[in-house]
Amino acid sequence: MNAIEVRDLHRVFRATIGTIRRRTKEVTAVDGISFDVREGELFGLLGPNGAGKTTTVKMLTTLLIPTGGSATIMGYDVVRDADSIRPRIGFIFGGERGLYWRLSAKDNLRYFADLYHVDPDMAKRRLPRLLELVGLNGREDEKVEGYSRGTRQRLHVSRCLLHDPQMLFLDEPTMGLDPVGARELRQVIRNLVAEEKTVFLTTHYMFEADALCERVAVINHGQIVALDTPEGLKRHVEDLSVIEVEVFGIAQQMVDSLRQIPEVDTVSVENRDQKQAVRVHSKLGSAIVPEIMHRLDGNGVRLGRVTVREPTLEDAYVRLVGGEA
Amino acid sequence: MIANLRVVRTTFELDVKQQAVGLFMIFGVLIQPLLIAIMAIYMLVARDPSRGIYIVVGSGMTGLWTSLLFRGTFNINAERFMGTLEGIVASPSSLAAVVIGKTLASVTLSLLSMIFSYGLASLIFRFPLNVAQPVPFLLSLLVMVFAFISFGLLISPLMAVNLSLSGWVNALEYPMYILGGFLFPILLLPGWSNPLSYLLAPYWAARVLHTTSSGVATPADILLSWGMMLILGGVYIAASYRLFEIVLHRARVHATLSLM
Repeated sequence: MNAIEVRDLHRVFRATIGTIRRRTKEVTAVDGISFDVREGELFGLLGPNGAGKTTTVKMLTTLLIPTGGSATIMGYDVVRDADSIRPRIGFIFGGERGLYWRLSAKDNLRYFADLYHVDPDMAKRRLPRLLELVGLNGREDEKVEGYSRGTRQRLHVSRCLLHDPQMLFLDEPTMGLDPVGARELRQVIRNLVAEEKTVFLTTHYMFEADALCERVAVINHGQIVALDTPEGLKRHVEDLSVIEVEVFGIAQQMVDSLRQIPEVDTVSVENRDQKQAVRVHSKLGSAIVPEIMHRLDGNGVRLGRVTVREPTLEDAYVRLVGGEA
Repeated sequence: MIANLRVVRTTFELDVKQQAVGLFMIFGVLIQPLLIAIMAIYMLVARDPSRGIYIVVGSGMTGLWTSLLFRGTFNINAERFMGTLEGIVASPSSLAAVVIGKTLASVTLSLLSMIFSYGLASLIFRFPLNVAQPVPFLLSLLVMVFAFISFGLLISPLMAVNLSLSGWVNALEYPMYILGGFLFPILLLPGWSNPLSYLLAPYWAARVLHTTSSGVATPADILLSWGMMLILGGVYIAASYRLFEIVLHRARVHATLSLM
């Protein structure tokens, strides 16, 4: 039996807009996704912001009811059997919310242990081990409001492990963490998999999915556009080269102009403080550089360094989501 | 059952702890009620002292009701703002157990603050606040806590559905002062409104607290009020049980458990 089975899952949100003439607007967040996750697997759901990752996690953790399709967790249906699923799973939603800031870490954990019906003696025994696992021992009596973002996120991890769940849903757990904090948290996630937990991880960082996941599903506009191992995903861009041009201020119409070059596959822009990195994927390799430079230079864009390199997994992701990353 | 009772106890304990560490709490629980009590008793000294206990019990009940109503509304919304509501709903515990713990904390703090403030103010002004039938009065207070918590259970689930409902719940504040007979007897109201009062557990609480404090309560009166509080409380709890199921299902359909 698979740990998670998702079939043609849909979720549509309806919002009322207008004051006098009220009308309903529908937004499809998840549009017919299907996948399986094996027991003990670390499965990644990767996609840009607004792709439908959090909505998927919320449906799988029984917090949202799907508008179509079905999903089971350890054989239990997410709509009908929510009460059977809840004691067996733990979850973290990215960000700092979800804790009682005026209480200490210890009180927070004690409370969630009670909410998850953990025997008080058992909770007492588990607490020191969990605090050690996430590197919080010695700080358990401090109020959460005094913690850094990374420390709060680590507290979230220990909170969701209190009842020793078989499966964990981690929704962008490293979001907003500094590089050291994010690296530490990734190590904690690896340790969980070593303890034979099934982990469902969502992220919009390709390197994170590459470093942690056995298989990755790429989601965009509510649909799964690829599902493979990280190595398999890299093969999506084997035929491409990446031309990276540093620019200082680029208008959207210039990006669109680059997209119109017939040999260009995708174009993405990454902001780097004062400058941007324009990343162009093309099969032509360095042969297309003059055309790119002509279009940028001809429109008065100030240019920096230009590099041509082999594609990485991140490039595969960018190609799959059409340059929206 | 035992696990849910443990949730009630821990919620109560930690809710009191959270409220107690806020500076506003010192104002809300100690200073403000004391100022109100001083003003109320200062006015009473110059008027009919025999009516004193009636007014103190009545104003105490308005304070309790306001606290229950606003905290009942605020409790769920506060969890939503903190992002903890999803954690509670996705846990195996009943949301009702959490609400009971929080309501118990609110009622207890309000009750203690009122006893403290009126007690202190009466000492300062040497204004006797004699309760004529203290044992039935204290027992009535306990039954009233049950009745108020059950009423709080009825209010809170509505907040899990929609933020905008809190405005409507706030509108219940003044009608209860009047229909509950907190400040004057409901016999002064039009006859058609009396059956409405009889359906409200807070009315029976006000009635028995007024009569036991003034010393006019008969055993039959006391038992009737206690019985009605227990029966109505039971009805509220049964209704709220179903209400929790409905609203939590709706919240999962309409995605209102979190703000983002």
